[in-house]
Amino acid sequence: MSATTLSPGKHVVATDFDGGEGILVDLNTKKYYQLNETAMIVWKGLEKGKTMGEIAADITSSYEVALDKARVSVERIVDNFQTYKLLTAK
Amino acid sequence: MNADLKGFLPVDAVVVDGRPGLQWMDMSGVSLAEPLFQQTVERLRADDRRELFTEFDVLLQLEKELDSVQPTGFIFHSSRCGSTLVSNACRAINNSIVLSEANAIDKLIVRFITDPGDIKTSLYSVFLRGVVHALAQRRTGNEEHLFVKFGCCSFAQVEQIKRIWPNVPWLFLYRDPVETIVSNLKDVPPWLLDNDRRVLASIAGTSPAEVAEMSLEELCARTIGSLFSTAHRLANDGQLLLNYKQLSVPVISRLLRFFKVSPSATELETIEHGSQIYSKEASRKRTFVADADAKQKFASEAARKAAATWASEPYQLLEQKRLEMNLMKSGEQS
Repeated sequence: MSATTLSPGKHVVATDFDGGEGILVDLNTKKYYQLNETAMIVWKGLEKGKTMGEIAADITSSYEVALDKARVSVERIVDNFQTYKLLTAK
Repeated sequence: MNADLKGFLPVDAVVVDGRPGLQWMDMSGVSLAEPLFQQTVERLRADDRRELFTEFDVLLQLEKELDSVQPTGFIFHSSRCGSTLVSNACRAINNSIVLSEANAIDKLIVRFITDPGDIKTSLYSVFLRGVVHALAQRRTGNEEHLFVKFGCCSFAQVEQIKRIWPNVPWLFLYRDPVETIVSNLKDVPPWLLDNDRRVLASIAGTSPAEVAEMSLEELCARTIGSLFSTAHRLANDGQLLLNYKQLSVPVISRLLRFFKVSPSATELETIEHGSQIYSKEASRKRTFVADADAKQKFASEAARKAAATWASEPYQLLEQKRLEMNLMKSGEQS
């Protein structure tokens, strides 16, 4: 499934904490997830409807990292979000 | 906003059927007029106000929905040292919200001690920010200032609190340890009788088993001594140290300006009037009588010994630091 068809689930609430990190709560399962700065950038990108490529580009503008490596990181994080059923298909 | 919670404020952090969460009460149309938040709650309970329970996650949703006042200043203290007088003075400022020792706040802070761990600390920090946000919601639309007075034990977690609100100025108010111990033993507060001894054990640097065996004099002295040491370690130009013996209307006026609030002449009159009344009594009828000399005179040998052993040295160090910081010196009255 392409990331362009994925967005944060309506059953998930995200909040910033501690200058870039964040917490997600799945209101269905009552489980909490702590996100590091990169995962929070990915989550916010998905909230804005960005593609994985666009999110990877955002990361390269904030961190000294090559685009291909940023894209691998974004894909891994999105996979994790999907594993925990935090995303929904549009 | 969540329709079920319209008009409700979180009044306690509780566990229901094994689920930790918040007790909410319908406080529509109610001002937080009493000196302590829980006094308002008790008054409303007599009126059979509606209450309901939610888990903590509702705070994250409300944080995105509620229009709330950001904190203006935090008031920390070492117990029985005039902090309620100060929070009452903050309440005299027009358009202010004063959250004075609200259970929902202080009980969440306790969880930093009783339920530790990196993820849990982050989670409880988010909940703490959320519960303050919920309590500070604009209910009339005119609110401008938010003052939070914490329970004395919460000061032990001031570093966690600062992580959440790094730029909010805070005050630490304290008093001579003998007078503090005498006052606490005369009318023993709930924090000193807490059955969950992990909290005081953590603050006093000992074990829950030892706390269980300790005299109230020693427990009180070790607790306030630890709070003095924390204040000594952390206070700097962004904070304010204030001794009970300094308290006066001019000093409170300076304190408010430290919180970036300029009291009007009318507000200062209200503060002046309030300073003549016993600060914690909800009826506001009992006249305040200075009792520092009496507390010193009638202190038991056990109270003096405990103060000397556990609290006098950190108190003297804190006094030295206050004098060095010199922020309030010109406001002292001889």
